[in-house]
Amino acid sequence: MAANFWTSSHCKQLLDPDDVDLVPAADRERGITPEEFRLIKIHMSFHIWRLAQQVKVRQRVIATAVTYFRRVYTRKSMSDYDPRLVAPTCLYLASKVEESTVQARLLVFYIKKMCGSDDKYRFEIKDILEMEMKLLEALDYYLVVFHPYRPLLQLLQDAGITDLTQFAWGLVNDTYKMDLILIYPPYMIALACIYIASVLKDKDTTAWFEELRVDMNIVKNISMEILDFYDTYKIDPQRGIPEDKISSVMNKLPAKA
Amino acid sequence: MASAGNSGSGDDDSGGKLLADRYQKGEVLGEGTYGVVFKAIDTKTGNTVAVKRIRIGKDKKEGVNFTALREIKLLKELKDPNIIELIDCFPYKENLHLVFEFMETDLEALIKDKNIILSPADTKSYVQMMLKGLAFCHKKWVLHRDMKPNNLLIGADGQLKLADFGLARMFGSPGRNFTHQVFARWYRAPELLFGSKQYGSGVDIWAAGCIFAELLTRRAFLQGSSDIDQLGKIFAALGTPKSSQWPDMAYLPDYVEYQYVAAPPLRTLFPMASDDALDLLSKMLTYDPKARISAQQALEHRYFSSLPAPTRPSQLPRPRRKGDQGNNKIPDLNLQDGPVVLSPPRKFRRVTAHEGMEGMHRADKVDEHPSGMRHTDDMPSQSSRIPMSVDVGAVFGTRPAPRPTLNSADKSRLKRKLDMDPEFGYAE
Repeated sequence: MAANFWTSSHCKQLLDPDDVDLVPAADRERGITPEEFRLIKIHMSFHIWRLAQQVKVRQRVIATAVTYFRRVYTRKSMSDYDPRLVAPTCLYLASKVEESTVQARLLVFYIKKMCGSDDKYRFEIKDILEMEMKLLEALDYYLVVFHPYRPLLQLLQDAGITDLTQFAWGLVNDTYKMDLILIYPPYMIALACIYIASVLKDKDTTAWFEELRVDMNIVKNISMEILDFYDTYKIDPQRGIPEDKISSVMNKLPAKA
Repeated sequence: MASAGNSGSGDDDSGGKLLADRYQKGEVLGEGTYGVVFKAIDTKTGNTVAVKRIRIGKDKKEGVNFTALREIKLLKELKDPNIIELIDCFPYKENLHLVFEFMETDLEALIKDKNIILSPADTKSYVQMMLKGLAFCHKKWVLHRDMKPNNLLIGADGQLKLADFGLARMFGSPGRNFTHQVFARWYRAPELLFGSKQYGSGVDIWAAGCIFAELLTRRAFLQGSSDIDQLGKIFAALGTPKSSQWPDMAYLPDYVEYQYVAAPPLRTLFPMASDDALDLLSKMLTYDPKARISAQQALEHRYFSSLPAPTRPSQLPRPRRKGDQGNNKIPDLNLQDGPVVLSPPRKFRRVTAHEGMEGMHRADKVDEHPSGMRHTDDMPSQSSRIPMSVDVGAVFGTRPAPRPTLNSADKSRLKRKLDMDPEFGYAE
């Protein structure tokens, strides 16, 4: 577990689940429900992920970008910070912070390619650069984010179930469709994914978990949240949230200035 | 003060403006690769701060400067008495501003100031503070990668702090390659010179060892003129490493065999150093990075527990600080420290000499006279603690106008601090 999570700004900024689900006042006024608020965040997480596939960045960059995105909306409203612009800007900023810079013009190019027909998603370089500054401020300039990936690999190794790596890794990826990274320490998220994977694949990890002396209630709670998420949304991992379901929600947001 | 609250339009470089409703803008301290640095008063705390303006306006292509972003990212996580504090960040007129605590001088200025005598206890204190800062970075898995005397800043309270994290990186992910083009050449560890891309905290320790040596002799320890020459200088001083000393050496990408030179006894290079000092130094300058001492181990070395005890930071000698004209808060800010008070005529001469001086202006106990009336011997360095403002002329109004601009020596020093030192450039 490189770097010291316990003394990091990430650790200090962990939030209560209730605070994460709070819809900002400006968005509430536009009639956005907590459920819709969540839906937009899922949708935009997919958007970031797809864009990242195009420009080819490491998983870590995507994870950091989504974390920034979700953190912003615990503080700012979607009415004031258009998620369609915040999403690519988060990817842009995360790519710089994680030392694998993606040029802004490249992002603009691929956004056009991906969302060519939809004007609301189209932005120029200057929009991204302007938003970058606002984003930094919204994040209070805290940029270091820890992720479950590295602890996941170490823990799987320790448990001697590295054959579950691919499955558990996929589960971790999916946790970024939720706000878990804002709420729990990354290694707990990793443990929850291992727990799910081992239960589903019939690996007995009871003794191993016991030896870890972690709070199994938390691990099980996170696991339940993840399973609930799969149950509720049943999202096609390739397509994301269907257009007809999301467009009416997105239309509640103000049109581009 | 007059324009307090007026943070609207106006000339960007005029002093006295209030930025972000908080920072009273003062004189420009210098210009670096990624922006201007100016002095300011934090009206919230009354402290003097240094504000770095990160240029973004110029080429509107890649947003916030990458180097600045690194510095923000890491310094937000690193809060320690021996690491420069990033107090605040704010955007203003499309530019990002970073607010740092204001530091009076740096270790390079101190080392080069021939009027300052460093006692063994003083040296020990500086080395200890440097290692404390490094140990903290390394504990947080951050490599500084640009350790050199002018990145070690010294505050009004005598504390030494690591600064300039523009090259710093988080490490600890195995298999990730890093560039070996880091550090000013004189402070570059041998594994970097041999092209290693998977290095660790040892690179910072090597540089710290070079700085330790520099404190002992008051000149840069290994002054190579090229990477090849740098290795030559290292081997001449410490002997060509044998494979038994450094088994992995031959596998490094740019490894070349050097003609064998035996190591001269370290004692001959540092005749004045104590045995403990030499023992620690040799452990910091160990060839094999795996065998090199860590910052934490170094702090536990007996050098720091044996006598003399490290000088308390507030008691350390320090270079004559630069003038503070244009800063209307001088009296309460500066009375705590200052140089030796000389008799009035010479005091006056010192002030004037400062303005036109080409050298490094740090005449704590002034000696501009070619006749060689050096006073350093009869003036113990501790005597510089007499509470007296530095800029006597400005405080008492004996000098008519505030100094209009920085002199070229000040500027060049600050430029170097802002990592644009051509001489120390990172060969890219």
